[in-house]
Amino acid sequence: MLTLAFDTATRTATSALVWDGEVLGELASSAVTVLEDVDALFRRGGVRPGQLEGIVVGTGPGSFTGLRMGLATARALSFSLDVPLAGVSTLAALAAGSPDALAVIDARRSEVFVLDGEPRVLRPEDVDVRGRVCVGDGAVRYRVTLEEHGAEIPPDPDPAHIPHARFHVQLAERFGLADEVEPIYLRAPDAKPSVS
Amino acid sequence: MIFALETSCDETAAALVTHDGEIRANVVASQADLHAQFGGVVPEIASRRHLELVLPVVRQALSDAGATLDDVDLVAVTRGPGLIGALLVGVSAAKALAWTRRLPLAPVDHLDGHVASLYLEPDSLEPPFLCLLASGGHTMLLDVRARGSFGVAGRTVDDAVGEAFDKGARLLGLGYPGGAELDRLARDGDPEAFSFPVAKLPGLDFSFSGVKTSLLYAVKKLQPGELERRRADLAASYQRALVRALVERTDAAAQLLGVERVGVVGGVAANSELRASLPWARAAPLSLCTDNAAMIASAARYVEPLPYPRYLGLDAYASAA
Ligand SMILES: [Zn+2]
Repeated sequence: MLTLAFDTATRTATSALVWDGEVLGELASSAVTVLEDVDALFRRGGVRPGQLEGIVVGTGPGSFTGLRMGLATARALSFSLDVPLAGVSTLAALAAGSPDALAVIDARRSEVFVLDGEPRVLRPEDVDVRGRVCVGDGAVRYRVTLEEHGAEIPPDPDPAHIPHARFHVQLAERFGLADEVEPIYLRAPDAKPSVS
Repeated sequence: MIFALETSCDETAAALVTHDGEIRANVVASQADLHAQFGGVVPEIASRRHLELVLPVVRQALSDAGATLDDVDLVAVTRGPGLIGALLVGVSAAKALAWTRRLPLAPVDHLDGHVASLYLEPDSLEPPFLCLLASGGHTMLLDVRARGSFGVAGRTVDDAVGEAFDKGARLLGLGYPGGAELDRLARDGDPEAFSFPVAKLPGLDFSFSGVKTSLLYAVKKLQPGELERRRADLAASYQRALVRALVERTDAAAQLLGVERVGVVGGVAANSELRASLPWARAAPLSLCTDNAAMIASAARYVEPLPYPRYLGLDAYASAA
């Protein structure tokens, strides 16, 4: 089964093309250029979009705009190619890459998203990190606070901080209709009208 | 056929238009109700709703046209200006749709889109003409010499006229967005009952930030019961002031530029008094005044499309460069 996966919810957007468990290629850039990466993966892998049998997208939590760019891309691909879509939480993909670590995603406004049984939004100082390894763009951004509270955090360039898309393929369970894959926001929208 | 998406503000829209400018489908899912309680468009709420609606409007447009994506040879999308998070939903979806079929993609400026609502059949307008673009986001006089380009002859220095309509409607207790409601109420009122002067700027520019203050004072001076009785008069007088400002400037610009034809586009082009006050002008059909994707598809015909793979990293822009 040829599966494409990508995740644009955190600072580094990732993508992977996987054939029956074998990773044909993986790339990382940003949400705006994720389709450039996808295109490159197909060209380098010597496969065509028409051969695709499943798409997996990271459903966050993370940057609201980045998350929506990924979901909009995934839904349009799924619809146009008539290929089923699955969603995998970005926190779960991060955790899959570092099984003993705590996944910490930057939630802006001095908060982080963490997996604490279920995904939660917390202030970094309120996360129980004593003696734990923390990974993710939230761990990098709030390194000082988290380390003060006893966390161990790999150096900034460590690949453990990125939700590698091959894990999305591993974790994907239910492939189905594009509209049924929903973003995980965890926070209500700021209800402030724009000044237009 | 051209397939277009528009998600710059609070309408999620998809359309199919032929290269000759015939509309095959024009689907607009308005979110106005969602934003009413906040008295304005909330960007994060708008962006979330665009994501929910984008595939449904795509499916609806194709089904209305009796077409599939195989009938599409060009994808178009609004790239800006607008709410950045909202625009990126449409841009992301459009890029993906184009990529799956290796189709070219035309990035369209929202303002070019409004002007191109006059290029759709069966009643298309040929440049040169002066175009009054009046909406909730923009108020401009455009000197259109050829399809696909324009020069700016005048613009608002503060509020857009559609904003002035909505703010006035709110002062009169008409809810949001209240421009159309104000138009209806004004029909029962006396437009000369109150005097609401609109600031006169040199040249061809507009200013609408002051006129709502004079409405506010007039409202405050009235007793509650009296306000209820005179609401229609207030609406009619306020609308008269806004429309007069638009018409005077449009006339002046047409004379200055020496053009005979005038087009009127944008949400405020649906206003009945404005349409009646410019009987010689060509106003966009009502269904094409508010934001829609048919006008984006129309504008795409006069844009150099980006061939595959040049659009794959395309970004949106919030405001004009
Ligand atoms: Zn508009």
